[in-house]
Amino acid sequence: MDEVLDEVVPTEDLKKYEKVYHEQLNSGNITQKAQFEYAWCLVRSKYSGDIRKGLILLEELFHTDKEESKRDYLYYLAIGSARIKEYNKALQYVRGFLQIEPGNHQVHDLEVVIKRRMEKEGLVGVALTGGIVLGIAGVVGLAFALAKK
Amino acid sequence: MDPDILSTFKILIIGESAVGKTSLLLRFINDNFDPNVSATIGVDFKTKKVTVDGNTVKLAIWDTAGVERFRTLTPSYYRNAQGAIVVYDVSRRETFNKMQLWLDELDTYTTKRNIVKMIVGNKIDQDTREVTKEEGIKFARRHAALYIESSAKTRDNVECAFEELVQKIIQTPGLWEASTNQAGTISVSQNDSSDGYLPKCGGWSCSLA
Ligand SMILES: Nc1nc2c(ncn2[C@@H]2O[C@H](COP(=O)(O)OP(=O)(O)OP(=O)(O)O)[C@@H](O)[C@H]2O)c(=O)[nH]1
Ligand SMILES: [Mg+2]
Repeated sequence: MDEVLDEVVPTEDLKKYEKVYHEQLNSGNITQKAQFEYAWCLVRSKYSGDIRKGLILLEELFHTDKEESKRDYLYYLAIGSARIKEYNKALQYVRGFLQIEPGNHQVHDLEVVIKRRMEKEGLVGVALTGGIVLGIAGVVGLAFALAKK
Repeated sequence: MDPDILSTFKILIIGESAVGKTSLLLRFINDNFDPNVSATIGVDFKTKKVTVDGNTVKLAIWDTAGVERFRTLTPSYYRNAQGAIVVYDVSRRETFNKMQLWLDELDTYTTKRNIVKMIVGNKIDQDTREVTKEEGIKFARRHAALYIESSAKTRDNVECAFEELVQKIIQTPGLWEASTNQAGTISVSQNDSSDGYLPKCGGWSCSLA
C-alpha cells in the first residue's frame, strides 16, 4: 500500500506536462487541466523541489477550481506533503477530506500509511504544529458547499 | 522478501467510471461491498497474496479512475503490467461500447506484448441487463482475452476473475520472472490438463488466447 507514496512519475511524463504547462504560461492562459496534470506529475517526482512546486499549484487549484474537483486536489496535497515527510500537514488534508467524505476507503488507507510511516520514523506523539493548512476556512467552506448538495 | 513467493505480478484494473472496478477489488481483498463507495481519485494501489495451482504469487494491483479527468495520466501506470482486468457494466450498454477504446489504450501503452487480458462484465445481479453474455464472449474472443461475468455485490465470480488471470499469467512463458531469492530453486506447479490450461471456474469463463 506504501506504493502510493513511493512510486515515481516517469521522467517523460513529467517533461511532457511541464512543456504543456509552460507553453500555456507563456501564452498567458493556463487551463486548470494543464495545471492539474503538471501538478500531478510534480508531486510524484523523486525531487522534493518538484513536489513543493506541485503543492503550490494544487493549492492554487484548490482555491480557484469548482467544488467537485476539490477532493482530487486535497488527495494529492496529502500525497505530496507525505512524500516530503510533512506528515502533520498531510494528515490535516486527510482529515479535511474525511470530514466531507467520511467513508472514503482510498483516503482512509492513505491515513493508515501515513501514520505507519510516522511511527517507523519515530514521529508519533509530535504535536501538530501551528501551521494552518489552506486556511481551515477553506476546508470548512468546502465541507459546507458539498453538504448543501 | 517472502521466500514462498514465486513472483510479483503487476495487475491493472481499467474501464469506464462506476462500472465497479473498485468494488471488485474491495470484494477480492476484504470480501466486502460498499454500495456508497467513492469514485477513485487517480489511481489506488492494493496488494494480495494468492495461491493458484500450488503457486503463491503476490499481486500488486493498480485500480485506476475511470473518469475523463484522469484519462491522460493513468496510462503511465500501464508500464510493465502482466495482467489487465478490463471492466464494463452489463446493465449499462454505453460502458460496453467503450470497451474497444480501453483495449486500444491498453495496446498503446503496455510494454509487455503478451499481457494477459481479462474482460469482466460486472453487475450481473442487476435485473436491467443491457448486454448479453454472448456479446461479451464474442468481444473477448476477438481480442484474445479471457472473459467472465461477475457481481461485486453478490461476490459471484470475483475471486475466479483474479485467479484465472493469475493462472494464465503463470502459464505464459516470458511474461514474468521468478523472485530473485527463488532463482535456482524455483519450480512451477502445473495442473495436469493436456493443453496445460484448465480454467479455474469452468463453465463460467472461456480461455481464448
Ligand atoms: N448492483 C451492483 N452494484 C455494483 C456492483 N459493483 C459495483 N456496484 C456499485 O456501482 C457503483 C460504482 O462502483 P465503483 O466500484 O466505485 O466503480 P469504479 O469502476 O471503481 O468507478 P471509478 O472509480 O469512478 O472509475 C457503486 O455504487 C457500487 O456500489 C455490482 O456488482 N452490483
Ligand atoms: Mg474506482
